[in-house]
Amino acid sequence: MRLLIIEDEPGIAGFLKDGLEEEYFAVDVAYDGKSGLDLALTNEYDLLIVDWMIPALSGIEVCRQVRKAGSLVPILFLTAKDTLEDVVFGLDAGANDYIKKPFEFEELLARIRVQLRAKNKADDSLCAGSLSINPATHQVFAGNNEITLTPKEFALLEYLIRNKDRVCTRSRIIEHVWDIHFDSDTSVIDVYITFLRRKLEAAGCGNLIQTIRGVGYIVREPGMV
Amino acid sequence: MKKSPFKGPSVMSLRNRIAFYYTIATAFLIAIVFTTIFFMVEKIVYKQFDDQLKKEISEIFADSNISPNNFQGFDDFKDNIDADESDSGDENRHKNKKLKVDTEFIQLVNNNGEVINKSASLSWCVLAFNPNQSGRSYFNSNFGGSMVRQAQVPLINQQGVTEGYLIIAVPLKNALIVLHDLRDIFLFSFPVILLPLFLLTRSIAIKSIRPIEKVIATAEKMSQSNLDQRIPLPFHHDELYRLASTINALFGRMQDAFQREKHFTADASHELKTPLAVVKGTLEVLIRKPREREHYETRIQFCLKELNRMARLIDQLLMLARYESNKMTPHIMVTALSPLVENVVERMIPTASTKGIAITVNRADNAHIAADPGMLDMILENIISNAIKYSSSGSSIAIEVKQDEGNIICSISDQGIGIPEEMLNAIFDRFYRVDESRSSSTGGLGLGLSIVKKLADLQQIQVGVTSEKNRGTTFTLTSPAAHNA
Repeated sequence: MRLLIIEDEPGIAGFLKDGLEEEYFAVDVAYDGKSGLDLALTNEYDLLIVDWMIPALSGIEVCRQVRKAGSLVPILFLTAKDTLEDVVFGLDAGANDYIKKPFEFEELLARIRVQLRAKNKADDSLCAGSLSINPATHQVFAGNNEITLTPKEFALLEYLIRNKDRVCTRSRIIEHVWDIHFDSDTSVIDVYITFLRRKLEAAGCGNLIQTIRGVGYIVREPGMV
Repeated sequence: MKKSPFKGPSVMSLRNRIAFYYTIATAFLIAIVFTTIFFMVEKIVYKQFDDQLKKEISEIFADSNISPNNFQGFDDFKDNIDADESDSGDENRHKNKKLKVDTEFIQLVNNNGEVINKSASLSWCVLAFNPNQSGRSYFNSNFGGSMVRQAQVPLINQQGVTEGYLIIAVPLKNALIVLHDLRDIFLFSFPVILLPLFLLTRSIAIKSIRPIEKVIATAEKMSQSNLDQRIPLPFHHDELYRLASTINALFGRMQDAFQREKHFTADASHELKTPLAVVKGTLEVLIRKPREREHYETRIQFCLKELNRMARLIDQLLMLARYESNKMTPHIMVTALSPLVENVVERMIPTASTKGIAITVNRADNAHIAADPGMLDMILENIISNAIKYSSSGSSIAIEVKQDEGNIICSISDQGIGIPEEMLNAIFDRFYRVDESRSSSTGGLGLGLSIVKKLADLQQIQVGVTSEKNRGTTFTLTSPAAHNA
């Protein structure tokens, strides 16, 4: 899952990036509203974390512009403003949630998971066939057996399962699993897919990830082919 | 009246009070007017009777060929009294012996009030005699149960001695009826006029104070969240218009004050919460996993830096609060400005030279002002460190101390980024930052200039600022010269 942080305070942007990357997110950072908006409109993010008071373009304005462009990407406001009017104003501008500084990092993670939670699902767990993954704990189970994955493998699998039954093109996979600093050599995906398949096969979930030649990959619910 | 005019047990509403006072005043005036009219009419009526009596008297005297000042004897009148009466009167009166009051009565009395002679119209009755009236007099008296207007003329002989009196009377009956009717009309119309007047005045008062109700309604609805509301101004430019606009102006000032306070609170919370959020977040992320020693060290260093910044901010806020509550008073003494400036500059040179900024001081000897040296030091340090902060490397800062017509002026000019003109007024506000994102990259806290202003105010030093964007800013401190004691 790829996030964009728009935050001018380097201290906050720094620990957010550190912490979120440890949580297997691909994280981009913009230090002002204008470059943040450019990034948000030119890349596909799964979530935006926007500070209210940022130079060049306020967080509210970024939020409005993103919504105006028709994007439904979840937006999480992050700010020291804490009056009721501010909260209402921020949410009305198109934000999905609002978290006040200073905040607990764990709470931020939980709120991010809520925004990423698939529609019509009561909990965070994702599954395909006998495979189930828990994004909060980064655990993957095949039946009752846990499969140990590296962060990147986990991120890749999570993305594929979140987009279950849809073809994920190589460029979309790159966009959502790797951050902007990654150069566009998509062959790295094939390497990770190979690792993933090997581990899944060992756990008895082989054949879950299928190749769509020349396009990308797809995870299909077994029996729906 | 539909409702009770009283709102509380003892409080009369304004509209009722206006109507009440107005009615009282009008009642008083009407009473005066009615009384005056009544007495004037009465006087006119009596005057008419008196004229009639006068005419009768002179006729009697003329007929008898006597004058009241040359009285010969009562005998001269004898015939004339009845003759006069028979001229104007009714012959039947003598026969039925009934007292007729709608004619005139004549009577002669001597000094003791004994009737010498009287007209037949008097029948057996006698007109009242008032022995105390020595001259000619006119008065009302009761005659046989009805009122008459009566004249009493003294009859004086040649020696000037009063021998007797001629008394002549006419009945007042019709005139009295008119006068009584008039009085009744007045007494009746008095309340009849006053009650509608009260109601009318009350409705006018209600109408004219309705704008006040609007003022009250708006003011009652006013709260912190809708301070932008204003009272609708009345159409006429009258006192109510002034009241409404005065209250509106008050609301405006309140709104400004609230706005400033809100701004300050928001800014203060941003300034305090941001470093807190940074430290908290960094440490939270740090503790999630075991890490390399080097990683810990850089993160902890970073946190310490943030904490120092916060400590500085809290110090400055507390200092401002202390100055604002006037708990700190300046120790004013005659201070030599030039050495003090040089002292501060010496401290700032290391910071300036790391940015490659040169500071030149143009000092004036003997420039003494009355100030607190410690506070002055703080003012200069703040202004000079600002100058360094917002100057590009390689530029220079010029400080000049000079004497000008009894004033000492210290100016600090930089060649930095300057301040947009529209923001010059606000730079002394607490937490005001020209850069609205309040970025911490310049290291500024936004309190320096408010402290400068506060300290300068305490010592009666004027702070001035001129600026040109991208050309530089000049701060001037002006204070009257003090003589070295």
